[in-house]
Amino acid sequence: MLLGRSSEGNAALNLDGTVRNEVDSGVEYGEMLLRYCNASVGRSDDLASARAALNNAMGADAVVDCAATIANFQRMVRIADGCGIPLDSFSRRESEKWRDSLGIDNFRSRSNTFG
Amino acid sequence: MTTTTAPFAYRQANWPILERIREAHIRSWERLAAPGEWWSGAERISIAAESRRASALVDGSPDPGPGPVSLPEAATFAVHKLVGDLPNVSRDWYEQTIRAEGMSDARYIELLGVVAHIWSVDEFHRALSLELEPLPDPIAGAPTQRRPVGLADHGSWPPTLAAEDLAESEADIYDGQSGAANVREAMSLHPDSVRWLSDLFDAHYLSWVEIGGEQESFRVLTRPQRELVAARVSALNECFY
Repeated sequence: MLLGRSSEGNAALNLDGTVRNEVDSGVEYGEMLLRYCNASVGRSDDLASARAALNNAMGADAVVDCAATIANFQRMVRIADGCGIPLDSFSRRESEKWRDSLGIDNFRSRSNTFG
Repeated sequence: MTTTTAPFAYRQANWPILERIREAHIRSWERLAAPGEWWSGAERISIAAESRRASALVDGSPDPGPGPVSLPEAATFAVHKLVGDLPNVSRDWYEQTIRAEGMSDARYIELLGVVAHIWSVDEFHRALSLELEPLPDPIAGAPTQRRPVGLADHGSWPPTLAAEDLAESEADIYDGQSGAANVREAMSLHPDSVRWLSDLFDAHYLSWVEIGGEQESFRVLTRPQRELVAARVSALNECFY
């Protein structure tokens, strides 16, 4: 949600692509980044192949940067959902137009943020 | 459990891991081993060990075993919930947990800080298929049991510190900013967890310079690429916020 809000002004990022594999995110190497992300978070057998593909396309530094980003948000989601962080009223209102289409209104943790 | 002589020796890894990441991970282990405000060093390491057990349970891998001391039953349950059943964490569950024997709101937030940060360092290793770092030996000492002054209800489940209400001992936790990001403020019942969060956030994701819009020379992924990955991790965890 918060990332969606911060990405609204970012023409390079198609928000649908952040939650749906079949939609092009519009981000360069987005498909490979998401494949690696899915494999790592999902504990998939595809992890080594996805990582090798990203390494071949973007290099080892990019793999490490992506692993660090994954690690960071594996932490942030636990803090957010473990504390019931509220969303400010402006963000609630402004995000209505894309929350439903992305399907995130169906997340069980919605009630933690909306009270 | 052993103490490594060269912690996080990434020289043996086949990946060009930045020194700033290694240093932040070393500081994480130092924070983990030290007595906290509400848990001893040994208890904090047991919380970390339990988070690894919870992860192994989810992954179907062998049980890595418990930590050096036993934890209250509610603490053990909370660790497993935060690692393996995050989408079902709710306000009712939180209220029940902090009222359980051996728990309190402050002990819960410190526990959450340990779980979230150790999980994060471990997830970095798992993403690169690196061996997990052995947990450190605990540093002796009693928890300080110091509760910050100025806590109030600001919308999160636990009481938190607004930037304008910080006492001198916590003056650094929002880096001198007039307002704090919600995630930082949410952990402020345990100020050292905010410091820990900021340290790893800077090493793993964004520095203060980058929040201002510039890209640090050592980052490889562009801001849209990092935000794409960040949003997908959040979606995979069904994190609405």
